[in-house]
Amino acid sequence: MVEAGQIALTVVMGVLLVAVATFLSRYEDWRSYSPLASGGSGYVGEGSGQAHHSEKPAGIVRWLTTVDHKDIGILYGAFGLFAFAWGGIAVLLMRAELATATSQIIGANFYNALMTTHGITMLFLFGTPILAAFGNYFVPLLIGADDMAFPRINAIAFWLLPPAAVLIWAGFPLATLTGGDISAAETSWTMYTPLSVEQMNPGVDLMLLGLHLSGVSATMGAINFIATIFSERGESVDWANLDIFSWTMLTQSGIILFSFPLLGSALVMLLLDRNLGTTFFAVDGGGALLWQHLFWFFGHPEVYILVLPPMGLVSLILPRFSGRKLFGFKFVVYSTLAIGVLSFGVWAHHMFSTGIDPRIRASFMAVSLAIAVPSAVKTFNWITTMWNGRIRLVAPMLFCIGFVQNFIIGGVTGVFLASVPVDLVLHDTYYVVGHFHFIVMGAIAMAGFAGIYYWFPLYTGRMYQKTLAKWHFWLSMIGSNATFIAMLILGYGGMPRRYATYLPEFANMHLIATAGAFIMGFGQLIFVWNIVTSWLEGPKVQSGDPWDLEDVGMKTKEWAWFERKRDTAITVTDGGEEVATDGGEADSADADRDET
Amino acid sequence: MDEQPGLSDEYRKASPWPVFVAFGLAIFEVGIVWPLFPVAVGGLLLFVGSIVGILRESGYVANPWNGLVTASVLCLVVGAVITLTTTGSVHLRGLAVLVGGVVVLAAGVFGSLFESTHA
Repeated sequence: MVEAGQIALTVVMGVLLVAVATFLSRYEDWRSYSPLASGGSGYVGEGSGQAHHSEKPAGIVRWLTTVDHKDIGILYGAFGLFAFAWGGIAVLLMRAELATATSQIIGANFYNALMTTHGITMLFLFGTPILAAFGNYFVPLLIGADDMAFPRINAIAFWLLPPAAVLIWAGFPLATLTGGDISAAETSWTMYTPLSVEQMNPGVDLMLLGLHLSGVSATMGAINFIATIFSERGESVDWANLDIFSWTMLTQSGIILFSFPLLGSALVMLLLDRNLGTTFFAVDGGGALLWQHLFWFFGHPEVYILVLPPMGLVSLILPRFSGRKLFGFKFVVYSTLAIGVLSFGVWAHHMFSTGIDPRIRASFMAVSLAIAVPSAVKTFNWITTMWNGRIRLVAPMLFCIGFVQNFIIGGVTGVFLASVPVDLVLHDTYYVVGHFHFIVMGAIAMAGFAGIYYWFPLYTGRMYQKTLAKWHFWLSMIGSNATFIAMLILGYGGMPRRYATYLPEFANMHLIATAGAFIMGFGQLIFVWNIVTSWLEGPKVQSGDPWDLEDVGMKTKEWAWFERKRDTAITVTDGGEEVATDGGEADSADADRDET
Repeated sequence: MDEQPGLSDEYRKASPWPVFVAFGLAIFEVGIVWPLFPVAVGGLLLFVGSIVGILRESGYVANPWNGLVTASVLCLVVGAVITLTTTGSVHLRGLAVLVGGVVVLAAGVFGSLFESTHA
């Protein structure tokens, strides 16, 4: 039986390799590999003018082989939104279960698996990639670069994500296929030892491998962003006038560079403990707390990896619909850098209740409270930017304001949790869950939506449907506040995290949280419908400046690029869609006018 | 017409290798961790082959066959060290890297010879 399996696997691998070789032989001119056939040098570098590469291939092959930063940005975005749907469906199942106090719909083990996949997916397969989507598409345009510094590494970084997702999610289908021999990991996203070492389920190994790959991907992407922003800026862009979004991407990439390799190492240690009998996290080895230190040394900077670029998006978009320049631009940049540095000095605030030395707790509490200062600088600067401005409440602006509101709630509850005595009471309750969901869903996802709507005309050449966008905003906003405020209240009541069942006294608040989650879910359906239908048949934008930013003197480089693209395109863009260079469609002309 | 504003005319916009570099690494990792010998060897071949391919394409390696031979040396050394110093499942993992290295070496040598006879 074992031999038969090995032979089958060998055949499968052989077929795969032959298929790859066949694809490559059709795609590449293999004779160009020969030093003699290519004129004795065989040295084919960038720009050597191989004719068959000067244009993108057609169809699906274009997307499989692209190294163009805009295409890769679109791929990251599509992947991120798909993962968002996976994580979202997982949480809706969980919230449906939590509508009643007892286990009615799904079992406790399946609940644990959904909770694990929800956390991992939202942070590593949605959060990080969707920011890379914006970064890839817009950083080169904003800084006047031709492309990312390393286009191929950029493509490798993206293509690591689909196999990472397959490995992370594989436990669910494999549980059915293998009759439960392999099942989805139930470690929670924090993978605390000894639980994660003792769960012998091979599905955990798959998840750890997938996570490792996503970390490699993020690190490669970060190196690329740093190199691009340092060395590929156009002549007119220096450090003084570098845009705020690129500043946040640069800082985020720096944090990734120092934290993700540590996650990778810790994951390898965990894999070794699980499979090869090492004792990194065993009691007679490094101990279970070693994992928490390593994990949170990565894990807390991860929070800022996720929140800094959305802050950059808000800092970029919000002034454009306030009719005023960003208030205190320099200090917003300084606060970004300050958060980047401080983010590495707060990790043990996740461990206040583990019995670590009280002097260490006090110092981590101080730094955690200190990080509220640069965060508050940003918040006040957004508010003062809007103060007395000419505010246009278009969808991207609504999402920016939603970001600010939710960030204030998420941030202030975070300040409370940074305080040791408060944390000791609220640790491991729904208060913590409410706090960080205000940041990740309430703030980060809102800023992502702001970016998606703001640049929709640029990457599609069309305008979204503004009424649906506003429905999306209000449903997301009301849903998130209902759900997460209910969670904060549950936390004050002492409801512990990570349980599929609960005491009857928590039933009302859980019901409100579930209702809010489904309101949010409905809002996201509207979002998907809006994006898909508008992309396919939305009214075409009639100018390169659909938001009339020129009027307030705030047009940025990417819109100048868009204008140039529209002016010079004859029939087809790189997206394969026709773009009208002149007016003439009465119905479509209304779209951006209505919006603005 | 400026079909791709913002991109230089000389810029190559497509490469077949990144997707295989990524998939090769993923398959190799799964093969090594679980451990599944054929998957590890296949993943290693895909990964190493694609790395050499992408290095040649971007001009860091002049001759792909020499690149394969060089890569095989690395695989052979790492594989041999693990194979010789361990037992049990770790030994099997080392053996997978070693066997992968042998196949890569064979491909490199065969390619060089094939090319020189057809040049």
